[in-house]
Amino acid sequence: MIRKSSLALALALLGSTMAHAQTETAASTTASRAFTVTGNVPVICAGGALTGGDSTFALGVLVNTTTGLLRTDLAAPNKVLSGAFCSALSTISIAATRMTAQNVTAPAPSGFSTGVDFTATASGWTTTPASVNTAASTNPEATQSRATPFTGDITVGLSNFATTGGSTLRPVADTSYLGSVTVTLTAAN
Amino acid sequence: MRAFTLGVTLAIAFGAAPAMAQDSDSAKVSVTGQVAKLCVLGTPSSAVIDLGQMANTSGARVGKRAAIANKSVTLPGSFCNFANSVVTVSATALTADDATAAQPGFARAVNFTATASNWAATDAVATTSADEQGAGADASGSGSVQGLPKLADIGLTLSGYDVPGDKLLVSGGYTGSVTVTLAPEAAPAPVPVP
Repeated sequence: MIRKSSLALALALLGSTMAHAQTETAASTTASRAFTVTGNVPVICAGGALTGGDSTFALGVLVNTTTGLLRTDLAAPNKVLSGAFCSALSTISIAATRMTAQNVTAPAPSGFSTGVDFTATASGWTTTPASVNTAASTNPEATQSRATPFTGDITVGLSNFATTGGSTLRPVADTSYLGSVTVTLTAAN
Repeated sequence: MRAFTLGVTLAIAFGAAPAMAQDSDSAKVSVTGQVAKLCVLGTPSSAVIDLGQMANTSGARVGKRAAIANKSVTLPGSFCNFANSVVTVSATALTADDATAAQPGFARAVNFTATASNWAATDAVATTSADEQGAGADASGSGSVQGLPKLADIGLTLSGYDVPGDKLLVSGGYTGSVTVTLAPEAAPAPVPVP
């Protein structure tokens, strides 16, 4: 009777072990581990490399040497910011200051002017170029937005030269008239 | 029918009588068990592999892929308790979390090579080759067969980072994945019966 009981118990244990082993086999023959890989890229804007000579718009002699009035054919080759980019949405802004006589600091006498205004335009970045006129009190088109990351060339040009105060005024003689143009790319976060 | 029953009873009586006189007895019971095939990967030293900032912010390569250091994770105490196992690594390139299509000149994917080592003679290697839009980002590779049960620290290394066309990277977060798998060697494909 004892043998029978023992045998019966042994069989019961064996049956239990087999059932457990089958479950484990099905679940663990293959093991996998997944890893998430992360990284990030910051918002970057770069103005690119300036091409088209140096960084100066050299206009030469500003006046008609016969009349003393501002030349009507003033021009300078465009400057190109090559390979400019923003890795996110962006705005392009252009700012400029009129050309002013650097050596004559006194107020201009009647009939004369110490300033030359102009329009500066940055094109190639947005559908509507960013532009600024140094004679204007406001320049709503000086800042333009772009809805996508972009890389390309920005062409900066000058136009619409005009004597500050009116076309009938004559620029005072000076060996240096100096103004500036600044183009800024800003990422819009 | 009755005579037959009596005969059987007598036979038992003769056989049982001598046993009653012994002072010991024994019985043999077989004890059996099984060990299931197991493959276990150890707890990794890190569950997330963070490559950090991936683009240059200045210099000649501003906006393009920076020099990203190799990253390693260890799966200590990994084992298979049977012969002929294989380690496989599957990888998905990092792609920008922002699904917007990359503009011309930009890429929104970073490829890499994932290597699972220290299991068999040949490591498992997977090199992703996503395009600039992040398409085709998946890759996988298996190492050679490990012919013995083995316990080892499996190493996972990420290296060889590359941006399609070396283009500018779109800003934002990027996510990819790597999966290491230990499994029995794949069974050969069945031969078609003519």
